[in-house]
Parts: sequence; structure tokens; C-alpha cells
Amino acid sequence: MTEATAKSAFNSVISAVTAVFTALIFGFVLLWVCGYDAVKAYTTMFNGAFGSANRFAETIVKTIPLTVMALGTAIAFKSKIWNIGGNGQFIVGGALSLYVALNFKLPALIMFPLSIFMAFAGGALWGGLAGYLKAKYNANEVITTLMLNYIASFLLAWLVRGPMMDPAGFGFPQTPLIDKSLQLSSLLAGTRLHSGFIIAVIIVILCWILSRSIFGFRMELIGESHEVAAYSGINVKKTTLMTMLISGGLAGLAGWNEVFGLHHRLLDDVAGNYGSMAIVIALLGGLHPLGIFVSGLLFSALLVGGGTMQRMSGIPLSLVDIIQGTVIIFVISRAALTLKSK
Amino acid sequence: MFAGTIRMSVPILLPALGDIYTQRSGILNLGVEGVMLMGALAGFLGVAFTDNLFIGMVFSAFIGMISAGVMAFLSVTVKANQVIAGTAITILGAGLSSFLFRAIFGVQKLPPLVREFPVCKIPVLSDIPYIGTIFFEHNLFVYLAYILVPLTWLILERTTFGLNARAVGEHPHAADAKGINVSLTRYLCVLIGGAYAGLGGAFLSIGFMNTFLAQMVGGRGFIAIAVVVFSRWEPFRALAAALLFGVANALQVRLQAMGVPFPPQALQALPYIMTIVVLLSVSRRASFPSAYTIPFSREER
Repeated sequence: MTEATAKSAFNSVISAVTAVFTALIFGFVLLWVCGYDAVKAYTTMFNGAFGSANRFAETIVKTIPLTVMALGTAIAFKSKIWNIGGNGQFIVGGALSLYVALNFKLPALIMFPLSIFMAFAGGALWGGLAGYLKAKYNANEVITTLMLNYIASFLLAWLVRGPMMDPAGFGFPQTPLIDKSLQLSSLLAGTRLHSGFIIAVIIVILCWILSRSIFGFRMELIGESHEVAAYSGINVKKTTLMTMLISGGLAGLAGWNEVFGLHHRLLDDVAGNYGSMAIVIALLGGLHPLGIFVSGLLFSALLVGGGTMQRMSGIPLSLVDIIQGTVIIFVISRAALTLKSK
Repeated sequence: MFAGTIRMSVPILLPALGDIYTQRSGILNLGVEGVMLMGALAGFLGVAFTDNLFIGMVFSAFIGMISAGVMAFLSVTVKANQVIAGTAITILGAGLSSFLFRAIFGVQKLPPLVREFPVCKIPVLSDIPYIGTIFFEHNLFVYLAYILVPLTWLILERTTFGLNARAVGEHPHAADAKGINVSLTRYLCVLIGGAYAGLGGAFLSIGFMNTFLAQMVGGRGFIAIAVVVFSRWEPFRALAAALLFGVANALQVRLQAMGVPFPPQALQALPYIMTIVVLLSVSRRASFPSAYTIPFSREER
């Protein structure tokens, strides 16, 4: 690592830490102004996320899909391709892998890698569609990925009520469970922590390797300037499409992790608001795989701890949204200011 | 059903009309959803504390402007990325509105209600059989939204400000060279968008449900963004598009009740698919605001 990159890495860590602290202080002041016991709020939140093996396991369970999805978001953002379609890609990846797992009778040894492949393919298809439309027709990817999110969630709503609905589910909008042999094994007895965590860690490492590869460099360069990239002999359209395929594929893998590790089936609204959280996490992590892992852990802790806080002390969980929103505002303001002073 | 479609087009139409200003000036505000939630809360608080519906409306537009003002500050002054700034506004608006609501009213078994917005029957016109009930028996919000359609068109197409907004979105450097204040124009456009979106949110809280619910906007802010792209930044087409999204939704409920063997979700997804198709044709003909999502600075070319 050269001195310059070390310095910029250090700067982005400082900026992230300041943003989180400022947001937490903002939340503290808001709680205090509204007449809540702010100290108690933060301690219950902390204990709720880390207080027991079970609570900590819940935090990690949330970290898995959020981190993987944020890695996908970050890959696109690095190329300045604004893929906000994580939710849609998550759904299509999860649905396609589940479809294969439910409908083909294959030994687990073959089915397992096949389902991972199908999840990546599903997410890549949904993301790649936006990438193709951008490369071919110059269609703004923010709008297309946003629309594809809606289309995917209607698709999911139809699947869990129609062709993939559980016949023994008493009419609940959900699919049947996948076979026991395909469900990811538990990592810690008595908790919901599953071995998808190991796969998430592997994906973090793979993304780090990717970012150091020639292809990673190309993706970053088209983010800098299309002209410069084209001048250095990079096929901008092809790289744009590839970036969206990988970005979407990672979101699809996040869907796979959630379906095969946690729910073992598809549910209506399985993606929740993971998409917007992944954007926050990718950004706070400085679009760097390791940073994303840390910020993924942080936001999962906020989410899980915030849930406990709401149950125990009646302080609304929406405090977590406020902290998230303020974190981004501080991160982008600081990033823009440091750019200007350069 | 038709009167209902007209009524339920309002919380899409109002923010969409406002967002036409914003998008034409070259700013994609993905925070409309958050701005609407803040407006919904502000409208409710205004009525809850003063018992005056008019104050509720004004207050919602005002808070809408303040919320959008954060977006304007981030995207114009700080020159931050608009997609990220918009996401922040949506998350923050959702969090802050439901937090403040619970902080002020606490947890109650039944949601606190405010007085109902009276229905104004327009004399003579509302007596027309059939059509009268569809178009002329609504509350003030509905008429306001519909009056704003030609008004928005007039402002955007026939005033200097409207032309400036377009110039700033198409070609900020040329606009700057002609002496148009790019930053000011963009600020104004985002703020107007905020006022409309705030009113759109307030329609849901004080003009329709008489209360505030954290989930009440339910993605309409994003639908409004789709409507604006679908309508190719034109107010009359935005009206048609808002009705289309509304009809698709109303029809879906009908078809389901009738037991038609056709997935109702396909019908709901249709407007979104059509938005992508429209976007493709617009992008090819380059009738898209060219400076869309690009911050303006004099030093950069």
C-alpha cells in the first residue's frame, strides 16, 4: 500500500467514525429534547445487540444479508453506476434459487452449489437488465433499478400467492420449506446463527480480491471518467454491463443467504428495507469490502438493539432510521468538503 | 370507483407536479417519499393543535419545503451525489416523522383523530348526474391538485422562471453564461417540489385518513418520480399517468374480487414496466434533461 492510499484510507475511516459519532450525539440530543431517558435508550440498545449470545447471534444474522448486499451496491457505486435495485435483485435471486431447490430432486451435494449459482444468476439477470439498458440505450439506471424493484416485489407477491404457494400453509402468502438437507446448518446451538455467515465472509474476501484485480481497476476507472477509460482501451459498455451483473449477482446471493439460512422459504416482503440500508452501509464503509463488513455489523447492531430498546423502554425504533439518515448526510457532506479543499 | 380513483390520484399527482420542477432543473430528488411523510405529519400537527384545516395545509407545505431544503443544500451547495442525498432524506423523513409522532402522542390504542376535511360540492356542476359525483364532490385538496395541473404547465412553459428551470436542467453552463443564477433556480425548483410533496403527504393525513400513520405514504413518493419520468416532465401527461397508476390499482382490487383468473399483480406491475419503456424511448431521443443528477460548478466543464 502506497503512502497516498494509506492516507486516504485513514481519512475515510476517520470520516466514517466522526459521522457515526455525530449521528449518535444527534440522536442523543433528540431523545433528550423529546423527554426520553437517552442514557437508558443507548444502554438497552447496546445490550440488545451484544448483551447475550443469543442477542449477538441475532446481530450477526442481520449482518449476513446486509453486508453481502452492500458489497454489491458498493461495486456499482465505485463505477458511479447508481444501482438502487438491491431489493429487486435480492428477490429474484432468492426466488430463482428457491424454485430450483423446490422443484428438482438432486442430491444435496449438487443442489447446494447449483442453488448458489441460480441465486447469483437471478440477481445478475435483474441487475444486468438495468446494466444492459444503460449500456445500450443510455437509460438512467436509477430509474430502471427503482422500477425493477417494484416489478420484482409484485412478482414475489404473485409467486407466494400463486404458483409457489405452500399448499399446506393455511393460505399464508409463503412457499413451502426447502428440504432439511439444503438448509444451512446452525453455527451456534440454540440461536438462529447459520453457516451462511462463513459464506458471507468468503464473499467479503472475494470482493476484496476483485477490487484489487485488473477488472476492479477497470470498473473504478469508468467511474472516474468514461473518456479516460475509453482512451485507455477499456470497453465502457461491456464493463458497465459486467459491473451491473456482479452487483446484482451479489444482491441475489444475499437473497440466497436469507432464504436458505434463515427463513428456509420465500415470504412476502422478504427483502424489507434491506436495499436502502445496504446503500447506507456501503457508503459508510467507504465502498471498501472490509469497511462494509464493519459498518454492516454496526447497522445490524443498531437495528437489533433498536428493536430491544423499543420493546423494553418504549422508545420508538424509528430512532435507528434517524441515526442512519444523519450518518449518510454527514458522510456525504464531509466527502464533498474534503474533495473541494483538495 | 371513479370518484375514488380521482381522489387517490391526488397523493401521487401533487408530489409528481412538484417533482416536475425539481427534475426539470436537473435534480433527481429520491427523497420525495421522506418529504411527503414530513408533510403528512406537519399537516396533522397543524390541525391537531390549532383545529384549523387551513393552517394544517400551510404548515405541511412549509415543512415540505424545509425537508426538501436539506436536499437542495446537499445537492446544490455541497454538490453531494443526489441518489445518496435523496436516500438519506427518505430514511430521515420516515424516521423523524414517526419518531416525533410517537414522542408527542405516545402509544395509544386508537390513533388520535382530527376533524374531517369537509367535502365541497361545487354548485350546479355537482348536480350533473353521474359525472357530478365523480368530479365535483371532493375536498379542497383534490380541487387544488387539479387546478395546479394547468397552473404548473403555465409556470413552466410560459414564464421566465419556467424557462430558466429548463435551461438550468438542460445546459447549466449556457444558462450561467446567459446570467441565470443556476444555484438559485435549482434551490427554488427543489423547494417548490417540497411544498407540493408536503401537501401530497398532508392529503393522506388530514384530507383522507384524519390521522397520521408511519406507513401511510407507502411508496407514493417513488411512484411520483416514476410518474414524472413516464409523463416526460409534462404536467398534463403527469395527470394522465397519475390516473393510470391509480386505475391499475383500483382495477386490481376489482378483478381480484371478481375472481378473474389473471394475476392481479401483473396489472399492478404494468405501469412500472411502461415507465421503463417510456424511459428507453426518451433516452434514445435525448429529450431527457441533459444535466440530470449532475452538480453544477463554474470551474468544471
